[in-house]
Amino acid sequence: MALGRMSRIRPLSTVSTVFIEVVRSIPVLVILFLVYYSLGQIGIKLTGMAAAIVGLGAFYATLYAEVFRAGILGVDNGQREAAIALGLSHRDVLRKIILPEAFFSILPNATNQLSNLIKDTSLVFTIGVADLMFQAQSASAVTFEPMDMFLLAGVIYFLFYLILSKVLARWELNVQRSRS
Amino acid sequence: MSNEVVVKVRGVTKRFGDRVIFENISLDVHKSEVVAIIGPSGVGKSTFIRCINHLHSFDEGTIDVQGFRLVGGQSPSKAELQALHNSVGMVFQTFNLFPHLTVLDNIVLAPMQVKKQARQQAIDRAMHLLAMVGLQNRANTFPKRLSGGEQQRVAICRALAMEPEIMLFDEPTSMLDPELVGDVLEFIQRLARTGMTMVLVTHEMMFAKEVADTVVVMADHGIAEMGPAREVLESPRTERARSFLRRVLNPVGSPREPNLVANGGDDR
Repeated sequence: MALGRMSRIRPLSTVSTVFIEVVRSIPVLVILFLVYYSLGQIGIKLTGMAAAIVGLGAFYATLYAEVFRAGILGVDNGQREAAIALGLSHRDVLRKIILPEAFFSILPNATNQLSNLIKDTSLVFTIGVADLMFQAQSASAVTFEPMDMFLLAGVIYFLFYLILSKVLARWELNVQRSRS
Repeated sequence: MSNEVVVKVRGVTKRFGDRVIFENISLDVHKSEVVAIIGPSGVGKSTFIRCINHLHSFDEGTIDVQGFRLVGGQSPSKAELQALHNSVGMVFQTFNLFPHLTVLDNIVLAPMQVKKQARQQAIDRAMHLLAMVGLQNRANTFPKRLSGGEQQRVAICRALAMEPEIMLFDEPTSMLDPELVGDVLEFIQRLARTGMTMVLVTHEMMFAKEVADTVVVMADHGIAEMGPAREVLESPRTERARSFLRRVLNPVGSPREPNLVANGGDDR
């Protein structure tokens, strides 16, 4: 999608740009409702789980597209010039030079977005997917102690986040070390 | 230097939007000739040599390089560009080594990808080139661990690995600390002695006088003066070239004449 937006082929870049700008500007909750309820009305019936995957998938795909685009644009133009002057094809310039270099600046942003994605999954309970929030909700209906249950849910999200961010931070560090 | 013309520039004009960078430039570069382009900053020297290998397009005129013709306002085919880039090497002011690749991988990348050389063959050639500049023991280092002078020498090796017929240098030493300039210039000079055709943009007047056969002074959107290096640098004919040289050679404005280059102009 990021490549599409930067493409010199006009229709491709227009479609990608419009899709990215529209989807990314709508709150993710609205997107989930649109995918689940509105698509259902025009005959595309998705299960809650499928709608959650499509909705969050589309939303995060656009966020990632922008992260990638920033990373690719961030590569110094001299790198491109040097690669072209050596006779590399456009495909090789992208594959061997631009993308590997962009990867280093993309990585921290990409891992951030992944953490956000985990937290945003809590929204899918609104379309009936039995996720952590849903469990907390139904448990509190039984125990009449919503405070404790949601606190517990929060702690579980936090632990997930903590583990994931540690793993990703370790990975980032390894990547940076391998480079010098 | 032979009589064979390998780069023939005719009436080349380059604009960015409405702004004219340079106009109606014509120039011949002969086989094994070393052409130094000098002139005040911002007159499009770098842009001009980038036109020779089509890193920049230009608006009018033609440039013939080794039998390939670039025409102003037209984009050449991929195959033509490929052939052009195979025979013209370029060295940049900012080195532009690929930071994610080791010194060795920087050099073997293009021979392997473009010329489809076997890795071992490419490595042998790369090590030979690195040995020429005394950097063979840095082959597996990443570029950022090298000094600027070392990086630039690697960048020259990288361009030479493609066995170009012509080398373009865009201010190869202007980003270097003064004490690192010598090694790079010495390498370029050695290259010139092997008969390599070279076009270089430089601010090193002494070097230009020493190494170049021809000096081109660019000013005011065009070529102000062009001729044998010594003649142009020691006794420029045009007022524009004279005032430029006076300023470069006597930056603090002492009333010396520009022909003091002949006596060794120790200004740098």
